[in-house]
Amino acid sequence: MKKIPRWSFIAFLFILAIAVAGPAAFPGDPGQTVAKPFAPPAWSGGDAPPPFSGPISPSSREITIEWKWDAPENLTLKGQLTFDEDAPVKLVWTTAEGDSFTLASFRGGRLWKVDIDARDMAFKTNLGIPPFANAASMLFPGRGLHILSLEGPTPSGGSLDLTLPGGKWGLLGTDQRGRDVLSLFIVGVRVSLLVGISATLLASLLGLSVGLASGYLGGTADSLIMRAVDVLLSIPILPILMVFVGIWGKGLWQLVVILGLFSWMGTARTVRSLALSLRESCYVENLRSIGARSWYILYRHLLPEAMPVVLAALSLGVPGAILAEAGLSFLGLSDPRVISWGRMLHEAHGFGAFTAGAWWLIVPPGLGISLICLVFLDMGRAIEEMADPRLKGGDGR
Amino acid sequence: MKSYWSRRVLGAAAVLLLVIAANFFLFRIMPGDVVSTIIDPRFSPEAKERMREVFGLDLPMGRQFVIYVRRMLTFDFGISFLSQRPVWDELKSRVPNTVALLGSALILSSALGTWLGVKAARKRGGFTEKVVLLSGSISFSFPSFFVQLVLLLLFAYTFPVFPLRGSVSIPLPETGLARTLDYLWHLLLPAGSLVLLGFGSWAIYVRNLMVKTLGEDFILMARAKGLPESRILWNHAFRSALPPVLTLFLLALPGIVSGAVLTETVFSLHGVGKYLLDSILGHDYPAAGAAFYILGLLTIVSNLAADAAYALADPRIRVGRRVSS
Repeated sequence: MKKIPRWSFIAFLFILAIAVAGPAAFPGDPGQTVAKPFAPPAWSGGDAPPPFSGPISPSSREITIEWKWDAPENLTLKGQLTFDEDAPVKLVWTTAEGDSFTLASFRGGRLWKVDIDARDMAFKTNLGIPPFANAASMLFPGRGLHILSLEGPTPSGGSLDLTLPGGKWGLLGTDQRGRDVLSLFIVGVRVSLLVGISATLLASLLGLSVGLASGYLGGTADSLIMRAVDVLLSIPILPILMVFVGIWGKGLWQLVVILGLFSWMGTARTVRSLALSLRESCYVENLRSIGARSWYILYRHLLPEAMPVVLAALSLGVPGAILAEAGLSFLGLSDPRVISWGRMLHEAHGFGAFTAGAWWLIVPPGLGISLICLVFLDMGRAIEEMADPRLKGGDGR
Repeated sequence: MKSYWSRRVLGAAAVLLLVIAANFFLFRIMPGDVVSTIIDPRFSPEAKERMREVFGLDLPMGRQFVIYVRRMLTFDFGISFLSQRPVWDELKSRVPNTVALLGSALILSSALGTWLGVKAARKRGGFTEKVVLLSGSISFSFPSFFVQLVLLLLFAYTFPVFPLRGSVSIPLPETGLARTLDYLWHLLLPAGSLVLLGFGSWAIYVRNLMVKTLGEDFILMARAKGLPESRILWNHAFRSALPPVLTLFLLALPGIVSGAVLTETVFSLHGVGKYLLDSILGHDYPAAGAAFYILGLLTIVSNLAADAAYALADPRIRVGRRVSS
């Protein structure tokens, strides 16, 4: 027999690694604006300008920008420089047409802190343009070589960073607030995993205890519990979840508890039927005949027997919880401060990704959800096969 | 026959009562003043007094519940906080839209799924079977709203053949026929996407049932009699697999209602699910409770309808023998 690990286990480890190490591997705050809103991915952006950044430092006193596009959205210049001598300095911008503007000046001293944003009113007033005009288009009147230079004594340390947001960005573009979709996507995997796994853990625990109790006790308790399961399975869950979230609040942990409370029924049914058959088996009868208490039989004998079933149910239940979380987040019923894939789709739908044609806001989170669901489904099936080898190579499942 | 029906109707009534009770208690366990979930603080003092009387808020809980049940059964849901109009007036126009979406999606996906499932069972390993297996696994793990968003992006933005949002055009077309066509045009993408997502699991289920049935002795018998293949397939095999297929109808129903809520949001349809969402987001509690109740009611009624179909399809029920369900 071949012993190749199922692809889903490897994929699961990979997803886990992204969830744990992703934000460290891709540094930067996902909430930060990096480019213009709805900037397409760099590889599909076509003729849009790429983002630009360059330093002014003791070794490079001048930045030359070859600009071949329309004016960028904005221009920022941030950082600090230290000087040994006390002499006036200034930052001069020379456009391709030869006009020059003094962006900032410094009367002299040791430490110069610079924080320029072209949208800043005071900065525009300094340049001598109306406060509601676009300063970036003033600074980029045409195409050609633009030069930013530092005039005055050479600084001894520090650096300034010039940033021009591009019209295209990174691997997956930007969203309606100009945030990097790739880093949002990577952060979003955490919520899916966290909510999916913890809600299903809770549901499995509930289902295990309810199912064991129902199957082992039998009688009225059993039929009552199974009636309740039938009823819960016959009413649509999403509206109930919506009402619960609307009343209790949109926090992450509330969501986990609510999802757990409404998804234990399947596990309970499976465990019940198992317990029902085990209860009648000879070894349980023998145990009872030598005076074993119900609690002992449940805990020491039925529970271990039910474990593989519960593990498989756990893995098979995670997609449901992930889809439910994504659905609720998509409806806007999640904490707006928590980035999740469902939330990304919600924002794409609610903030005009359609009018911008921004498919890069919709496809990555959606495929992410689907992929993670497929992985858990396949893992669940693999666990089922381990628990019950008869399933292996069965009919066209 | 009688015992079957009394059990079904009693069960439906119990579920209905449970939905009402859930509604009643859910909106009363909220933190803060109980009254504030039923009466908008912005109502005038006279209106507040009237609502207190109407809902019997000063009475003990038991009495209140009885009054509440009666109000729910007569569709008297109080006054919406957001629009300051009776909730039922707002909901009335939305119910037909939701019924149209749910009904067309259910009927079309079950019809398509059944047909493909039977076809796949007849020719094992054929093209249809591959399509069925693939679409089944897709519908199991792809979030419905994602598929719908992609469809919307494709067919309303890239190739603008369908409207981006809404149940009807604004302004409304003049004549009756144009209005109907306009309505169908707006319904096609939402209902079509639900069918696309729904038929796969149907087809797989029907295929598995049919594969099992086609292996039975009475099919061999029918073949031996020289009956035409299509007659064997539909009148013999499918006929005997019909009751369990109808059971699947019951099992699929809650999921389709949940899917309709998402669908109405994606396509901004004028329906009950969208109303539920808007009410929850706007903290409009009477409206949210009423929308939830209507969705529950729709599910229960369709459940009963499926039960009726089951009774017709299963001769053991028709002749009145007890069936263990």
